[in-house]
Amino acid sequence: MKLFKKPCGTFDETYAQDMAPIRTLYRKFLLTCLFLCLALVVPLLANNYFLSIMNIIGITVIAMMGLNILTGYCGLISVGHAAFIAVGAYTSAALSHHLGFPFWATLPGSLLATGSLGLIVGLPSLRIKGFYVAVSTLAAHYIVIWLLLHGGEVTKGVWGLPCESPVILGHSLNTERGMYFLIMGFATASTILAFNLVRTRFGRAMVAVRDNDIAAEFMGLDVFRVKLLAFVISSMYAGLAGWLQAHYLGMITIEQFPLMDSIWYLGMLIVGGMGSITGAIFGAFAFRLLAQAVISLSPLVGQLVPALSGSSVAGITQVLFGLVILFFLVVEPRGLNHRWQVVLASFRLWPFPY
Amino acid sequence: MDLFLQLVVSGIMTGAVYALMSLGIVIIYKASSVFNFAHGSIVAFTAYLVWSCLVQLELAAAVVICLSLGLIFIMAFSIQRFILQPLTGQPMLAAIVATLALAEVINGLITLIWPGPARVYPKVIPSGVIQLGSVVFTWEAGLNFAICAAAFGGFMFFFQKTKMGLTMRGTAEDHQLARSEGVPVKRIFVVAWFIAILMAGIGGVLMAKMHGVNQEPLIALGMKSLSVVILGGMESILGAVVGGLAIGVLEALGAGYLDPLVGGGIEEVFPFVILLVTLLVKPYGLFGYERIERV
Repeated sequence: MKLFKKPCGTFDETYAQDMAPIRTLYRKFLLTCLFLCLALVVPLLANNYFLSIMNIIGITVIAMMGLNILTGYCGLISVGHAAFIAVGAYTSAALSHHLGFPFWATLPGSLLATGSLGLIVGLPSLRIKGFYVAVSTLAAHYIVIWLLLHGGEVTKGVWGLPCESPVILGHSLNTERGMYFLIMGFATASTILAFNLVRTRFGRAMVAVRDNDIAAEFMGLDVFRVKLLAFVISSMYAGLAGWLQAHYLGMITIEQFPLMDSIWYLGMLIVGGMGSITGAIFGAFAFRLLAQAVISLSPLVGQLVPALSGSSVAGITQVLFGLVILFFLVVEPRGLNHRWQVVLASFRLWPFPY
Repeated sequence: MDLFLQLVVSGIMTGAVYALMSLGIVIIYKASSVFNFAHGSIVAFTAYLVWSCLVQLELAAAVVICLSLGLIFIMAFSIQRFILQPLTGQPMLAAIVATLALAEVINGLITLIWPGPARVYPKVIPSGVIQLGSVVFTWEAGLNFAICAAAFGGFMFFFQKTKMGLTMRGTAEDHQLARSEGVPVKRIFVVAWFIAILMAGIGGVLMAKMHGVNQEPLIALGMKSLSVVILGGMESILGAVVGGLAIGVLEALGAGYLDPLVGGGIEEVFPFVILLVTLLVKPYGLFGYERIERV
């Protein structure tokens, strides 16, 4: 294993070496540092406020992994991701509230429910693509949210469902720090899973379908099967995120899953960089940190511009995020991930320009 | 039977407004192949805008119309020039996310400029009802239908009889061919957006006049035009009319017959069910072109 990432000089002698995800010692060192930082430094040093931000980011990263597989890799634009998360959250909460399931036993239920919903929503993709898929997921969003709102005793309508905090081996994880380990564990696992999934035959099949579905079919791929599987996997990620969110917040209502969130997830994908695992993580961090910045800066804005003081943080956030998405679409459609690669490359090549 | 007739008539009244609003999506799609997801937000925004001019600034009706037309032109120009024109040549996803982000910006602006509870338009129309045989409808609904029909007639005249309409039809047919004949395609796109926002605005004001100026419901109403255009077919103006009336009638029938079974509110979601069924059964809609693709 070579020490540094080099444009030339990294010689792989076996196929396994060539295919290995971590090919240089330098990268291994970086990843170990990152892991130690997430596992030890952050929970030891951070206060509750910072941990709560990290928890939200962790849940977002899990949801983003799913959307990235569906939209970034398979090219099916989903405007209904928030609804899938809602179904995961509501299934978990309903199972534990009505049937008294322990928190871990509701996870298979959440995954099953969101997976089968993904299967149903994916069905029209047999004959359509492009913006038609976006329209069908948007319609699915409206229908799912309406069903959850009119679910009677099962979902308790506008009042929402309470959801107990997780208990593992007798330890209640009702603190931010306890939840941090649970959420970050799942986030790390799902990132590794997604990273490896897109390297498999199925992952390459998704990319083929995204790039040209007719050519992919011509090469012998079962396009419909690939699309459906992408839908199912993506919605199961959303189910996992919803499950964590329900148990993290302790209470779920329908207002937590607006259509806006689905648009935000798509925006994160654009801002981070579509079709790359690191891009999805960048996007999640960028948007959630920006949202926190708006929340902490809004009193200042209110003092400077009295006309805006009465209006909510929500309005400013929406306008700002919309503009950020538009800015990235026009100026840097390949997202932060591309910028990051450019920075890395310039470090590697220094002092030469290219 | 009386209930059925009543539902059909009131469905047609609502459907006319849907048809007018969805005309906007079809026009933009025909001209520039951009599917406008921000339509619902534009419907709400224009309704608020007209309310502000009319009630807050207390302007005369003629001034309000001129001012709104000017603002709509500014909106159309800046959307086309600063958002969609730089995205030319990028994958379809870019345009979709761009209109979604635009929806986000417009929603945020509504929250910022007009916070708080819903507004109401002043009552100018007598609140009585018209009775035709066993069918009853309000003056307001009847007037809405007439306004929609007039706006539609005006649009058809513009589209079929004027030179600008001819160039628009040419642009819809083929961009390159139109350009080689000297058609200013970029300007046509701005005109298409202008007409689309104007139609959305008329629909929005009519809807807001009946249901109050309220952000979420207006956006949801505007979003129903997605189902209209999918049912009617993306490329067809006739499809928008037929689809709009069909969605209006089906929605009214669904609400009339199914609401007692599920406990109300089904008209909020019924158009989207129709949309999904359409995509499953006949994805290109009733009058849309079926695409034959080559690799």
